Amino acid sequence: MSQEKLHSVLTVNGEQRDVLAPVAATLLDVLRSGLGLTGTKCGCNHGVCGACTVLLDGKLARSCLTLAVDVGDRSITTIEGIAGDGDFSAVQRALIDSGAIQCGFCTPGFVMALSELFARDPHPDREAVRTALSGNLCRCSGYVKIVEAAEQLAGGAHE
Amino acid sequence: MDYLAPATLDEAYRALATEDSRCLAGGQSLVALMNLGLVSPARLVSLRRIQALRGIDPQSDGSLRIGAMTTHAELAALEVAPPGHALLAQAARVVAYPAVRAWGTIGGSVAPADPAADYPVALVAADATIELGSASGARRIAAHDFFRGLFETALSRGEIVTAIHVPPGPKDAGAAYEKLSLVAGDFAIISVAAIAGRTAQLAVGGCGPVPLRLAGIGVSDEALLKEGRTLAAKSDPPSDHRATAAYRRRVLPELIRRAVRTAIARTGS
Repeated sequence: MSQEKLHSVLTVNGEQRDVLAPVAATLLDVLRSGLGLTGTKCGCNHGVCGACTVLLDGKLARSCLTLAVDVGDRSITTIEGIAGDGDFSAVQRALIDSGAIQCGFCTPGFVMALSELFARDPHPDREAVRTALSGNLCRCSGYVKIVEAAEQLAGGAHE
Repeated sequence: MDYLAPATLDEAYRALATEDSRCLAGGQSLVALMNLGLVSPARLVSLRRIQALRGIDPQSDGSLRIGAMTTHAELAALEVAPPGHALLAQAARVVAYPAVRAWGTIGGSVAPADPAADYPVALVAADATIELGSASGARRIAAHDFFRGLFETALSRGEIVTAIHVPPGPKDAGAAYEKLSLVAGDFAIISVAAIAGRTAQLAVGGCGPVPLRLAGIGVSDEALLKEGRTLAAKSDPPSDHRATAAYRRRVLPELIRRAVRTAIARTGS
């Protein structure tokens, strides 16, 4: 495989970033190795586990199934772009308060999936929560607490 | 590996003339295969910027022309009554996960012809046709002739799946896509796509390299189970980490029965 690199300009968490990467480099590779944004995790690297989930133009995306060179002008939001200034987002706070974090490897992906859900539906029911999380695996199998965190957030006061 | 993102179909056809070029649609299958080291094309031709591949357009004969770059999420959101169209929307709702549905496309699902994929089954059941384009012109081919074998289709070198045409299906019929899988979002162990009223037309996925088709069959439980047993005996299902061939043959008749019952119950809804 040729290692010739292509230049692209990516909009990551509101900032323009210059990237030089081979055609076959995924957005996940570029975020972690090129831009040092290591909050996005590499689990299975073929679209099954959800640990690499980011938002592209506000929609959930697998960064491992997205080629960096093909992102174009779509705006990228990673886990680093979710929290406010030094504070946690409501989704992150709910996960912490509910004890929904065990080893934490899958957590960034779950935070992205829940952030996307709450952005379009502030009061999702259990079914909507489960559907939204259907593409994220937690190998500590902490699903019950994760769903409870989302339900508390759905029922309680939040932004 | 080089990369091109043409803005028009004609530019894409020229770009694909290079040996070992591949179309990149939503990337949800191709990039996974690249990451696994199974595919390493000399050139990627991204279809992302081509407007002619987008849009869902009703045609004068009642069919829908679905641009190849239409995402699963766009199809899943369709609220359509004709059973042929409803069947496709139902299949779209159970393709993988929300993140994959947001970017994966119908063209990108149909062209690789994965035997466990959802759309091929629904398209064969709905008597859909696949529209193909190339530098030498466009042609249309029935879905059941398009899928030829394991990961094998009627696509020639340099051809692109440009659209899918789905007829409305018979009046006084409903549609159901029944997918048996280990967990939500996984590929099907087997699946059945059915359009049924007084008779049923259906296709079965996961029981061989291409969808198996049945048409004009009776809709009593007895008739359906009998047809299912006959089809199971003739079928060639795989044994893999999801299920054995014997298991697939065993559950097939009942899944056919359920799909047809559900389809009939949805008639007129």
